[in-house]
Amino acid sequence: MSTIAPEFRLSRFIASLTDIIFWVLLIFSLVGLPIVFIVLFYIKLPVINGQLMTPYLAMTWMADPSRSIPIIKSFMHTTIFRVAVFPGFGFAALLAAATIYVERKFLAKIQLRVGPLYCGKIEGILQLMGDGFKLMSKEIIIPAKADKPIFWIGPVLFVGTAGAFVSLIPVAPGWVVANPSVGLLAVFATIGFFPIIAVLSAWSANSKWTFIGGLRALHQMIAFEIPLILSLLGIVILSGTLNLSQIVQSQEHYWWITFMPLSAVVFFITIIAELERIPFDLPEAESEIVAGWLTEFSGMMYGLIQLGTYLKLYAFAGLFTVLFLGGWQGPSIWPPFPQEIITQGITIGPVTAKFPGLPLFDQEMLNGTLWFVIKTVGVILLILLPRGVFPRVRIDMILHTGWYKLIGLAFINIFIALGLLYAGVLGPGGLLH
Amino acid sequence: MTTQLPPGISLEKVDDRIMTLNVGPQHPGSGHMRLIIKVDGDYIVSCDPDPGYVHRGEEKMAEYRNYIQNIPHLERPVIHDSSNILYPYCLAVEDLLGIEVPERAKYVRVIAAELNRCIYILYWLAIYGIFLGHSTMFMWPAGDRELFIDLLEAMSGARVTHAYLVPGGVRNDLPANFEERCLRQVNYFEKRLKEYEAIFYQNPILKARTQDTGILSKTDAIRLGTTGSVLRASGVDYDVRKKEPYDVYENLDFQTVVMKEGDSYARSYVPYLEMFESCRIIKDALRKMPKSGSVRTKLKPNPKGGNDEVYRRVESGRGALGYYIVSNNRPEPYRVKISVGSFRNLICMPYLLKGEKLGNMPAVYWSLNYWPVEADR
Amino acid sequence: MSSEDKKDGSTDITDEKQSDVVGLSKDDAKKYYEEKGIDLSPDVPTKPKPIPQFEKSMADKISSKFADKVHVDYIRADRIRVVAKREDIVDVAKYIRDDLRYDHAESVTGVDYPDSKEIEVVYHLGSYTDEKLARQVLTLATRVPREEIPNPGSDSSRTPSLRDVFYSVEFHERECFEMFGVYFEGHPDNRRLLLPEDWADIPPFRKDFKIKGR
Repeated sequence: MSTIAPEFRLSRFIASLTDIIFWVLLIFSLVGLPIVFIVLFYIKLPVINGQLMTPYLAMTWMADPSRSIPIIKSFMHTTIFRVAVFPGFGFAALLAAATIYVERKFLAKIQLRVGPLYCGKIEGILQLMGDGFKLMSKEIIIPAKADKPIFWIGPVLFVGTAGAFVSLIPVAPGWVVANPSVGLLAVFATIGFFPIIAVLSAWSANSKWTFIGGLRALHQMIAFEIPLILSLLGIVILSGTLNLSQIVQSQEHYWWITFMPLSAVVFFITIIAELERIPFDLPEAESEIVAGWLTEFSGMMYGLIQLGTYLKLYAFAGLFTVLFLGGWQGPSIWPPFPQEIITQGITIGPVTAKFPGLPLFDQEMLNGTLWFVIKTVGVILLILLPRGVFPRVRIDMILHTGWYKLIGLAFINIFIALGLLYAGVLGPGGLLH
Repeated sequence: MTTQLPPGISLEKVDDRIMTLNVGPQHPGSGHMRLIIKVDGDYIVSCDPDPGYVHRGEEKMAEYRNYIQNIPHLERPVIHDSSNILYPYCLAVEDLLGIEVPERAKYVRVIAAELNRCIYILYWLAIYGIFLGHSTMFMWPAGDRELFIDLLEAMSGARVTHAYLVPGGVRNDLPANFEERCLRQVNYFEKRLKEYEAIFYQNPILKARTQDTGILSKTDAIRLGTTGSVLRASGVDYDVRKKEPYDVYENLDFQTVVMKEGDSYARSYVPYLEMFESCRIIKDALRKMPKSGSVRTKLKPNPKGGNDEVYRRVESGRGALGYYIVSNNRPEPYRVKISVGSFRNLICMPYLLKGEKLGNMPAVYWSLNYWPVEADR
Repeated sequence: MSSEDKKDGSTDITDEKQSDVVGLSKDDAKKYYEEKGIDLSPDVPTKPKPIPQFEKSMADKISSKFADKVHVDYIRADRIRVVAKREDIVDVAKYIRDDLRYDHAESVTGVDYPDSKEIEVVYHLGSYTDEKLARQVLTLATRVPREEIPNPGSDSSRTPSLRDVFYSVEFHERECFEMFGVYFEGHPDNRRLLLPEDWADIPPFRKDFKIKGR
């Protein structure tokens, strides 16, 4: 008999289970069902196959699978799906998580280790999930003299801003959460929030290490925001638009990296600095200032910051792809949806199931997403892998790089872009356009 | 200066600009000690080292145990270099008791000491790597240490705390086929060492960070009484193995590594080059070692030292390591003083860190080849 | 067992705590050793060693300069031990630094002698600059009075600091101060180093400080 439950009785266990089931059913039927019906009564229901989707129809999808596809399809065109699942939060988080796993394995191979190995049986594939659960289950400790409201809200703001940044990245034609005509300016505006959040949470924690780390983050991010913006001006000049989707469309024939490699290099370096990645992880330099502005965060607050960092990582890599590597552009390699499934349905033994509403995604969108994912993962790996070979630089060296060298290179790049434009080679009405 | 200021505006006092930082003992960049650092902006204006968090009174403990009982606890201050910290103790006790060590034991001791020196330097280098944010340089030496740990495990039976050297020789003879295995692993390790150069020492960022930081001139290195790699990186050609050869070091073929720069880079480069010399010593000792013979002169039970005192020193991974043993006709020593390299190099810390940038603190601090546990003893 | 009141070493081999044949009575142990043929005489062979020339000349320089102020305890291969009174130790140290060219201190330590009511402060001096002295260690010792009830810093256990002569003794003297209660006059920084700030016992390396359980 196990020592955990020495007085274990099977009859009592079953009794407690039935007890729980009874109470759940009672509360659901008394409270849950009315709430469901009230909600379904008030929300605007979509029209599917010419008939209004009533709560009755919505709940019969389990009985009739052929009805579920139109429902899913209609759900896919709502904003909430775009924000939460596809090109927004869920997609970004999944992609970032997958890349982190690959990066950890890669880095382990560089360092002659095995990396995550045990969690999830197959090469530690569930390690990241385990880390997440660990962070969730940890106690959150707030420093006694912290400015508590700001301290609490810091990680939330960070994730929120990162999410806002993610929402601006177009993944496939038409698949973008927010598509403002000044998309690139919106990106700059969103990036500008990060140093403020870093300084706010650093100051509110009321610790010396977070204070130094916050100041370092502020210095570093501001020093690198200017070359970041300047390096992208060349693309705006040549493509003639600030909208990110249109910038992608302008690269139908040539990626901008072919004409502006200088700009791409500058932008790539600023990405690493903005993301506080080695060799530019000064604000979190462990051996100098403990963990920089993250020192006092614990438990899921730290987890949120990490989530935000990885969302930011995805967003920056996506931005690099969109601006320099042609976004979703690429040869069509996704196979077309088989027509006979639409016309004849799937025959499984005696049953022939017809699915109205297929295909869920069109071929162009899937192909674009595939190319975007391939390029973005490549960029993320390039951002992460310098960890294996570089030590950390010093704060004065990084500031010197940002203010002197990168700004100079960014200006040279603008002149190149202007030259190409006025020579009539590129740009609106250019030779190669 | 009495400048007339507009009303409501006051000059910032210097004291307001100074921030005191407690680097340690619970700090990832300190080890088991505390550095009380005062910074003005990004510059360190004063540094006050505060060791003693792992003071265990080894010297006091040694007064209560006899010469044999002292062996296992005296290696505790620096278990990664346990052969080298026991080496001068064995030499001193042999002097006190007048014991002759068999020839083969002398070579075995040298091999054990050099293997242990490599283990220590690799561990130190791993921490230097991670202090500078270079995670690969943390993993590689930490992994390559296993080569030598395995060898010493075969020799002594323990992976870390070997207690292999005893007064009168070594505890037991080498296992069968040890020579071939040792030679094979040392040759492999020399190949690996060359890769360290490419990924770490030739890295431009590392050079920019460590060169010209924390410069210790030759005069100051002598005046401050530094020792070991710190001293040799400042251009002083001093190695106890060469200057006062103990056991069979005078028969062996090796060089002292000396650099002139005296900066953090040189201080981190000298131990690296010393590993090559250690490999040379091991290979040479394996060649010249008598192939058979006794490895231990048995001591009498509970031996008593005369009314005498002795000071013996060796070159450890962190510099000269000396034992001063006073005895008074008793089985226990009357007083044992361990003069360790870490404690002697501690004095450099306030001297070098003053005026440096805060970002240079780990680079300078750990380049001093300082092992907090050993310094506290 | 207290180690200071038993000076005679010939009896303690049968002491139960020290004997490595634990469990035998005293007589049995004696018999055991006799059967094994192990003699219980002092372990150190007393053959005289030749006095080396170079070390002799160094010691002669000191003793000719300071005559009876210093006493050369022994001259061995690579080791010289010189004892000076604490009033003279700064002069002796200056002479050793300037004329004999010893340039740094390897260690500073104390040895407590409760019987003669003295604490010996021992400096081990070495040289990096002089090639001939590279293998030499000069032991410079001095004796300070020992108080039965120590009050570190304000009792008579004090000696001039050598920090102005050998800069490298700074931390070693701090350690000696806290571990033995010897105050070094003229030392700029006579604070605690290794011991905790709230240490309220006697200096721990004195012989009257007992380890618990021993």
